[in-house]
Amino acid sequence: MSIQSFGQWLYETPLSTSFRETSWVVPAVQSIHILAIAVVIGSALVSELRLAGLIATDEAPGNVVRRYLPWISRALLVLLASGTLLVVAEPQRTLGNTVFWLKMALVLGAFLTTLAFRRPLLTAPAGNGAVPAKAIAFGLLLVWVVVIFCGRFIAYT
Amino acid sequence: MSLDTILQQIYDLPLSDSIRENVNAFPLLESLHVLAITLVFGTILIVDLRLVGVAAHRRSADRLIREMLPYTWVAFVVAVITGVLMFASNAPSYAANLEFQLKLVTIVLAGVNMAIFHSTAHRRIADWDLDLPPPAAARISGFLSLALWTVVIVLGRWIGFTLAVVF
Repeated sequence: MSIQSFGQWLYETPLSTSFRETSWVVPAVQSIHILAIAVVIGSALVSELRLAGLIATDEAPGNVVRRYLPWISRALLVLLASGTLLVVAEPQRTLGNTVFWLKMALVLGAFLTTLAFRRPLLTAPAGNGAVPAKAIAFGLLLVWVVVIFCGRFIAYT
Repeated sequence: MSLDTILQQIYDLPLSDSIRENVNAFPLLESLHVLAITLVFGTILIVDLRLVGVAAHRRSADRLIREMLPYTWVAFVVAVITGVLMFASNAPSYAANLEFQLKLVTIVLAGVNMAIFHSTAHRRIADWDLDLPPPAAARISGFLSLALWTVVIVLGRWIGFTLAVVF
């Protein structure tokens, strides 16, 4: 089954139809989605600025990561759940959209990069000198910014 | 001069017209607005949770506030600028929109809550700087701030579904 015919099938399911016909569902789920993005952005901002050596340099990197990495993971689960509901409500707008797939790839890339470079800091709290910390920190923050732009542009492409 | 006339004059500004005419202008403003809001809410969330009693990356509430607030304010200014530009592009419609009106009221309430915190519990922060949980006054401020900013975001999203756009 192609993505298009899957989208068409999904669009015609009673669940998808009821989401579209209940006026508050999409704005409510989008509100939850934005609140969860704010949790990711706030957590990533503090973690990455710390790892870039710009804030909280008196706190060990491992302590900062320990505080915020679980929040990023939990918020991403909320984003996955709310995002799935939005895809169910409007399959064509999302599944057939290049910007949507670009966003998915960037989210996956950003999360895997965060796990690969930030999780080791939990067990070795002081050691972040081996990797180019600043480049990764600003790179990750930039990717999250692009993710937000992609999210908004899905509605226009 | 009536409010309607002023709103129409804002609508008629060359700047407002160019935002309406350029297909990319509104989505770009919206994206910047969302980015700014996630930075405002994300950084306020860390401070508010600390005030409610959830540990942040540092123990000192005072230092945490001083560390996060510059980012909150810069992002808030970006949110206001992009918000004003989106408002200008359809001033009469936004002014007539209930969710938009409620959103402005809620932002003012969040500002009042912040002003009360800074003129009361924050004045005595040296007494409870390292306390977890902080005193009731700080916890109430933190909880109210979380609730009000959440409402601001929900109302903001609702505007996109209720606004009667005129092009």
